[in-house]
Amino acid sequence: MRTYRKAYPLGWRIMDGIEAAVAAVWPRRLSGAVPYVMVLPAVLLVLLLVIGMVQIADQSARVLDTSTFMPSADYRSANYEQIFNSGLYWSILWRSLLGSVIVTVLCLVFAFPYSYLMVRTPSALLRKFLLIALFLPFFIGQVVRAYGWLIILGNQGVVNEVLGLVGVPPMRLLYNYPAVLFGLVQYMIPFAVLMLAPALTAIPEEIESAASSLGANWWRSFVHVVLPMAKPGLIGAGLVVLTLSLTDFAMPAILGGGSQDFIANAIYDQFFRTSDQGMGAALTIILVGIGSLVVGIVFSIFGAGTLAMGRDRK
Amino acid sequence: MTIEAGIEGRAAQATRVAVSVRNVDMSFADFHAVKDASFDLEDGRFLTILGPSGSGKTTLLRMIAGFQKPSAGEIFINGKPVSATPPHKRSIGMVFQKLALFPHMTAAENVAFPLKMRRFDATTIPERVQRYLDLVHLGGYADRRIHQLSGGQQQRVAIARALVFEPDLLLLDEPLAALDRKLREEMQLEFRRIQRELGVTTINVTHDQREALVVSDEVIVMDKGVIQQKAPPSATYRTPANAFVAGFIGVTNFISGKVTATSGDAVSFDVGGSEVTGTWAAQGPAPSVGASVTGALRAEQVRLASSEAELSGCQTTSRGVVRDAIFEGERLVYEIDLAPGTLLRVFDHDPAAHKQFAIGDNVAMGWNARDVLTFPN
Repeated sequence: MRTYRKAYPLGWRIMDGIEAAVAAVWPRRLSGAVPYVMVLPAVLLVLLLVIGMVQIADQSARVLDTSTFMPSADYRSANYEQIFNSGLYWSILWRSLLGSVIVTVLCLVFAFPYSYLMVRTPSALLRKFLLIALFLPFFIGQVVRAYGWLIILGNQGVVNEVLGLVGVPPMRLLYNYPAVLFGLVQYMIPFAVLMLAPALTAIPEEIESAASSLGANWWRSFVHVVLPMAKPGLIGAGLVVLTLSLTDFAMPAILGGGSQDFIANAIYDQFFRTSDQGMGAALTIILVGIGSLVVGIVFSIFGAGTLAMGRDRK
Repeated sequence: MTIEAGIEGRAAQATRVAVSVRNVDMSFADFHAVKDASFDLEDGRFLTILGPSGSGKTTLLRMIAGFQKPSAGEIFINGKPVSATPPHKRSIGMVFQKLALFPHMTAAENVAFPLKMRRFDATTIPERVQRYLDLVHLGGYADRRIHQLSGGQQQRVAIARALVFEPDLLLLDEPLAALDRKLREEMQLEFRRIQRELGVTTINVTHDQREALVVSDEVIVMDKGVIQQKAPPSATYRTPANAFVAGFIGVTNFISGKVTATSGDAVSFDVGGSEVTGTWAAQGPAPSVGASVTGALRAEQVRLASSEAELSGCQTTSRGVVRDAIFEGERLVYEIDLAPGTLLRVFDHDPAAHKQFAIGDNVAMGWNARDVLTFPN
């Protein structure tokens, strides 16, 4: 036995060692519990989040006493009333929601051809290039990228200098709504591509050949075959982009320059500038509520099964 | 012979050429897939392109369908060159290897798809879809989703979808390869029935030699990108054009040796000390003495007995030791030493009627010179 063992690679022998060690400390009787032990960390993390949410909900119903700077001892609805009665918060809510919908649509439109090309191209070189171009932004981080856009789009930025060369006067390209949306789209496209690519890979090329031989030109084949079959990927990618944009902080803060706040910026202000924790908590609850509502609506329309989860899909 | 003459005579009435492939060549970056392929296919005939994987048969089919453009040469469908026509403008129905049915549609929607894409009169579509579902015996399954159908039923939907718009040409890209044997044989007969019923010109691609013989009016055998032979099934089997065709169809023993004598078509050659006489089957003159040749002898053409005396009808007899005897139900397969290093595979199709041999028995084998088709080596 011992002489055989030497012939196996080191990796195998290490695995055997680990197995033996686990067998020594973990009785065989308990092996049925192993899967539950393995999901425990994830369950604990979610549980912590739930506890935090309960606390935030509790805070959101306590109103800050401006004279003592202490939260009220009893529950009041004043924070929520203030939010719903103030035009400022309505406009922030509307801006966040509209912005995230626009960003989602644009991301899906731009990401679809990108993923399609990445999945379908016969050239390994092009595929590698597209993948690198996709992952490179991930290494840079959101804040640094936003500052990059400040340099490029600023009044003395590269874009305005180039435009100046052809005689166009400097334009204000920053600190407005389109700049925030632009930054968000640029930030979210890789997420959308990564979510779409597996869905497009799952569509056999033969299906498109079949559509073509049955008389569909590329447009009809796209509308009647590729798009419906890519629906799970589109919904998954859309949900990820929508929730990430809705809750985004850095892009509105940096590219919006304080004039284009999303909900997360308003929450930040309440927690860390005005120190009105109750108000911040109330805004948080509303944000979580809107996000859950949107995801709930999408699931109830398309069904969770469209995300290709569940076992009876073929 | 009379049955085969009947089968081959039936389709000979049609004379109009439906598909004409002229000097078609296809090269990929590092692979010459199809080399100078030419053939004509008459209207209403069922052609099978048979070959091992990598023989270029699928590439040839994909060029006819329009998914690939030939590097050289031209393909004519009903007399018109089609190289510049994209697939969706050709009138070709195709059944794909993995069927490529649309999973988000019902059986009826799948069949209606080509009619909608080709802008058929919308009011006639439901009736037509039903007629073609009936044709493939799926009349009651119109509203089933694809994943609710069995493998055989999915095959039938794919056939209906490829035929419903009455294309000039039906292409079958090994659609039966994934089925189990029983279902595959059932579907082969089904393809044949539907093709005869509609009279649609059909090109089938397969690596299954049995399927090629069963379904086709004509068989093209391809190897390494080159068309080796185009002939009706029985001719492909009986008179293969070369050793490759002889070996690819049927179970064939190859016996090689140096020519010792020739007389007309008869070629005698030496196989490890024993002399075998065969019939020269290749084009061109018979080989000279000393040339290296290969004889192809079908496993079912060899007769076995305990002694040579019982093989009086055979022109050539030899002795050998049974190395293996395999019971396959309807037949027994023997492997017998003919000469050192040359095993002969022999079928006994009615084991109960003959004496059975065991491993180690020394037996007599006999065959006729016309059954040893001899080719240059």
